[in-house]
Amino acid sequence: MKKLFVAASLAIFAGGSAFAETKIGAIFDLTGGLNIYGLQQQNALELAVDQINAAGGVLGEPISVVSYDAQSELSKYTQFTTTAVLRDDVDALFAGLTSSSREAIRPIVQANNVLYFYPSLYEGGACDKQTFVTGSSASQQLDVLIEWAIQKYGPKIYIMAPDYNFGTISAHWVHEYAKQHGGEVVGEDFLALTVTDYAPTIQKIQQSAPNFVVALPVGANQTGFLEQFAAAGLKETIGVVSTNYGSGNQQVVVSPAAGEGLIASQGYFQVVDNPANAAFVAAWTAKYGSSEPIVSVAVDTWNAVHLWAAAVNKAGSTDIAAVTAALESGLTFEAPNGTVGFEPGSHHLRQNIYIVEGDANHSFNVVETFEGVAPAYENTMCDLIKDPSIATQFTPEGL
Amino acid sequence: MEADFLATVLLSSLSSASILLIATIGLAVVFGLMGVINLAHGEFLMIGAYTALTATQAGVPYLLAIPIAVVVTMAIGALVEVLIISRLYGRIFDTMLATWGISIAFYQLAVLTFGTVSPGIGMPQISVKIGDYSLALYPLLMNVVALLILGFVYLLMTRSIYGMKARASIQVPEMARAIGISSARVNTMTFALGCGLAGFAGAVLLPIVPATPSMGFAFVIKAFLTVVVAGPVTLTGSAFAAIGLGGGASVTASFLTSVAGDAFFFIVTALLLWRFPLGISARWRRKL
Repeated sequence: MKKLFVAASLAIFAGGSAFAETKIGAIFDLTGGLNIYGLQQQNALELAVDQINAAGGVLGEPISVVSYDAQSELSKYTQFTTTAVLRDDVDALFAGLTSSSREAIRPIVQANNVLYFYPSLYEGGACDKQTFVTGSSASQQLDVLIEWAIQKYGPKIYIMAPDYNFGTISAHWVHEYAKQHGGEVVGEDFLALTVTDYAPTIQKIQQSAPNFVVALPVGANQTGFLEQFAAAGLKETIGVVSTNYGSGNQQVVVSPAAGEGLIASQGYFQVVDNPANAAFVAAWTAKYGSSEPIVSVAVDTWNAVHLWAAAVNKAGSTDIAAVTAALESGLTFEAPNGTVGFEPGSHHLRQNIYIVEGDANHSFNVVETFEGVAPAYENTMCDLIKDPSIATQFTPEGL
Repeated sequence: MEADFLATVLLSSLSSASILLIATIGLAVVFGLMGVINLAHGEFLMIGAYTALTATQAGVPYLLAIPIAVVVTMAIGALVEVLIISRLYGRIFDTMLATWGISIAFYQLAVLTFGTVSPGIGMPQISVKIGDYSLALYPLLMNVVALLILGFVYLLMTRSIYGMKARASIQVPEMARAIGISSARVNTMTFALGCGLAGFAGAVLLPIVPATPSMGFAFVIKAFLTVVVAGPVTLTGSAFAAIGLGGGASVTASFLTSVAGDAFFFIVTALLLWRFPLGISARWRRKL
């Protein structure tokens, strides 16, 4: 009965939407603990839609946006995804920050065959036909970072990571790439998100005497680790590298004494120097001011909207099969973080990875740019061209 | 195991216990002396941190910013007590619900006022060397701060007129009122004191834990469990509970993993509450 109702309402909406403007849904954490990211994702989406609409929209019609505030609560993602898909009949959904939010959304968009863009860096491996990931994956960032850090600091590595799948999967990749590039993991510690006192971790780091620490602090409390590490006087002798430092503007919170010299790698930093980024930063500053640096998930969202719009225009329709084919056709976009384009098989983005160094003014300097880094792990595991029926999140063996 | 490693573990575990005690003592005062469970305790800590941060940004020296944070949180605490808590005495679940609501409102107010990221003030970059190991000095200083604040609250409660009135209003409220103690005013003062101590904790821990709207969440669970384990002899009990739980967790984390440290904290809490349902101090003869 329920199925019948869903089918019937879909038919009614589908009948109506042929004449309506194109509609996209946005579900981000506008309030609650995660809004440090969610507000910027929402801002980026609105800015991208403004720009596309000013240039004529998609298929000659302006795009309209339906927004929901997920309040940093997982249950709201399930609820609002259902609403966006069934009541509001969106043509594409842009939503989610944490992996748990993405996993809450995926079954719903899959069952209803709606295009879904996940604009956030994460541990990697998500694979299904409806889902497109614009953030960088852990293996994408860590491959280049670990090789670079072993050359710069030496082979001995200590891992400090949060105690959930982002941390454990990232740690797996550190082990993997350490082996590949001639390094060795001499110790690791996984920490709950509520830990505020890092003295035990700092002692263990000193005990195992690494050349550098891969620090993956998540959330406000864990940035305290960097303060305490620096205050213990270890920064002079032990390097610190991270794939997520800066992703939530930690460089603003951390004092210059602790932040100077920290190494981070991601798909975007505001200091990246190219014409597309200059235009993007100018447009952002004009609309939202410059009180907070722009974080990578904002650019991931911006890229997602633009890639979707380009694909709709190329396909000449909002039909999901046609748009998916266009997205898989090697379409590229001149993004603030360089040229980006989806890998046809894995639905992940080939993109630049930047290695930056913290300076004394709560900001970064770009140290090295790796151009067009492929999401290697996702490309090996996930081929949606060959097998469109895959719907899973691959995790490295043994995890 | 080398002696220098053992020494650093011992010292830093003591400072872990002290940090927990500093974060807990305001909650202990409010719960122990008023029977009110203040679920917004963590948010008062956050307000203290933001007040100290704002003051230092305005050019006030850090040491002066701490008393400012105490005064501001006491004032807000007094206001909350008069407007909300005073109407709910004796209704423990209603006060929990109300203070929980207050905590959500304060959290979102902080996001709206300060945004989601504010620059931290950083820790003094001074470290102490013990053999091959070095320790940051500031967390070690927290041992001294914890002793001072414990002594201050103890003296305030035992030697001052306010302290006597506060204990009288809790032990025999009717008799206290009969001899002319205005228990409503004393209660406002006690709640404000608890909030002021939370503000003090937020300000003094600011170099270790940067000010963020959600910083209260990290403290409130462990602080709350420490107070519950402590039981009726609030001050001494909290000190012992903080050393046992916080210090023990830190030692465990040093030798095993941080996850094991957290597990130690919660498992020992559960075991203690199973053996001593009213807290470890239920049968002590002390009063504070």
